[in-house]
Amino acid sequence: MKRFVKYALVVLALLGFGAARMPYEAGLHRELRDAGLFPPALEIGTREKIGQTSSAVALGGLRTLVATFLNLRAFTFFTEQRWADVESTFEMIVDLAPRTRYYWETGSWHMAYNAASYYINDSKLPPLRRREAWRSSILRGRAFLERGIRNNPDDWSLHANLGFLLSDSNKLPAFRDTNEAFAAAAEAYRMAAETGRALGYVRRSRFYALARVEGRENEALALARELYAAGGMNHTPTLLVLLLVLEAHENPSMDVAGRAIELFGDESKAYEALGGHWRRTRERFPVHGVAGGLQALEQKLKIPAENSIFNEPPAPPIDLDQWFRE
Amino acid sequence: MSQTKHNRTKGSHAGRILVIATHTFTQLVRMKVFYFMGFFAVIVIASNFFDLPQHEGPESVGANVLRSIKSWSLGAMTLFSVVLSVVATALLLPKDVEDRTLYTILAKPVPRFDYLAGKLLGVLMLVFVSLACMDLLMTAVLHIRTGMVVAQQAEMAAAMGWPQDAIDSLRSDTLAHGPNAALQGAVFAVFLRAAIMASLALLISTFSTSTLFTTIVSFLIYFIGHFQADARDVYLHAGQAGEGVFARLAALLLSLVLPDFQLFNVIDAVIEGQALPLLAVGKLALVGLYYALFFAFVSWFIFADKEF
Repeated sequence: MKRFVKYALVVLALLGFGAARMPYEAGLHRELRDAGLFPPALEIGTREKIGQTSSAVALGGLRTLVATFLNLRAFTFFTEQRWADVESTFEMIVDLAPRTRYYWETGSWHMAYNAASYYINDSKLPPLRRREAWRSSILRGRAFLERGIRNNPDDWSLHANLGFLLSDSNKLPAFRDTNEAFAAAAEAYRMAAETGRALGYVRRSRFYALARVEGRENEALALARELYAAGGMNHTPTLLVLLLVLEAHENPSMDVAGRAIELFGDESKAYEALGGHWRRTRERFPVHGVAGGLQALEQKLKIPAENSIFNEPPAPPIDLDQWFRE
Repeated sequence: MSQTKHNRTKGSHAGRILVIATHTFTQLVRMKVFYFMGFFAVIVIASNFFDLPQHEGPESVGANVLRSIKSWSLGAMTLFSVVLSVVATALLLPKDVEDRTLYTILAKPVPRFDYLAGKLLGVLMLVFVSLACMDLLMTAVLHIRTGMVVAQQAEMAAAMGWPQDAIDSLRSDTLAHGPNAALQGAVFAVFLRAAIMASLALLISTFSTSTLFTTIVSFLIYFIGHFQADARDVYLHAGQAGEGVFARLAALLLSLVLPDFQLFNVIDAVIEGQALPLLAVGKLALVGLYYALFFAFVSWFIFADKEF
């Protein structure tokens, strides 16, 4: 057979073989993508940012390996406090490995916690810029985590981390509407619990966030009763006090001290628990009936007026002007 | 009786292929290719030390190190197996011509298909044994490290007063990142990709004029093959995107001629802790077999009446 004819036949065979396998491969590709076994195609921007070599390696089927290398690079940036580089590296990492919870959580943690804390003390920037950098770091950490959730809606830990961030008392001033932040935190915890794989504290955390949303006290009370009835680990001092507070909100004429004794066992334990709650001003928990309850318990326990809890100055709310002074 | 059976096996296609495959395997082993196992061992052990600081709770302890071990190990396996399959295959024919072994073999009643199939099988045996050794090492290291991580998490969780069901749930989450069936499926996917590359390199070497040409073209196809699925998408959805006729034809040509290597990127999902269904592995095996057989037959078709 002449060489030309032979090669022509080979080309025809290649094309024919290709045409025969195309529907099967396209179907399998779709099937694997639907099963979540393929990450989305790599963004052109990411290809440019990670450089030609890494891009070639990533496109050669080693995306997670490149993500691992970049994670090491991000750690170096973190130790050098190069926050913009940390952020851009994590943007690339999650593009390469969008299904890895660890990268979303770590990236968000660096932005919302590490970078934000750094800006509180960064003496090189004027106060106003430090304050803005602190706020925007927290908001970027939140946005990053929310993007992680959109990519992994079934991951309970990402939802729980978002809830934790949104209900963190040290981060609250960064959010314009505190009520909205607590409501979003409660929703994030609810989504985490709904996956069915979340740890027990997530449902309690949902309640702690919901209890702080103004206007949703009845919903919070119903959840508190549900958790209390479930017993076990749910009988934490915070949950018991909040149950009492929400009951007092529902029924302002309730005997708060009596109910506190019922919940905590005796007068001194009830006083200790309510006192602890009274001092947690920074966390913005509701305090319906707590003052009256404490006064009644002080009378029952015969606590002298000079030792009254009301003589202690409450912890001042977070003052951003104090944080970001010259 | 036994002697007759032995002669019959030896005289059959399978017998001849097996003899050539075993010889090829021995030939390649004598080239000291297994030295790379030392590098692999260093990589696997080094990947244990990338346990970066965690941000909270027991659930995060060691979460990254297990992924790091899998990522480095499977990455190294992919690299070694592809390089090994391409370079070893590219070397075979020119070396046999240079050593004049080829003339001795083809002068005997050995069909050329048996010769090629034997050579390919020998390379695949080498890749398989290499991957099996690397897999063994990775699994052992991962097993030990998973045990350590689970113990560390349980200790921390118990100290924090976690209830038993929460500790059990955490344990099961962590074990998903340890050595499991999905990981073995991923190693098999690595082997399938290497097998396709070996058969492709064999095809190229039947008409190539040098080892260097075969190696370079094979690696080019390897990288471009990872875009094949994109080209296919462009062709299939060209109407929606409004591409021109030329772009559509180019995309069709690329998707018909090149293998789709993106299919084997399920390895990334396994590294990220996902399960790999057996059915998916079976379908990938079919793809691998389809390519390997087709390239082997085309190689034979070109090689059948080649003059030396």
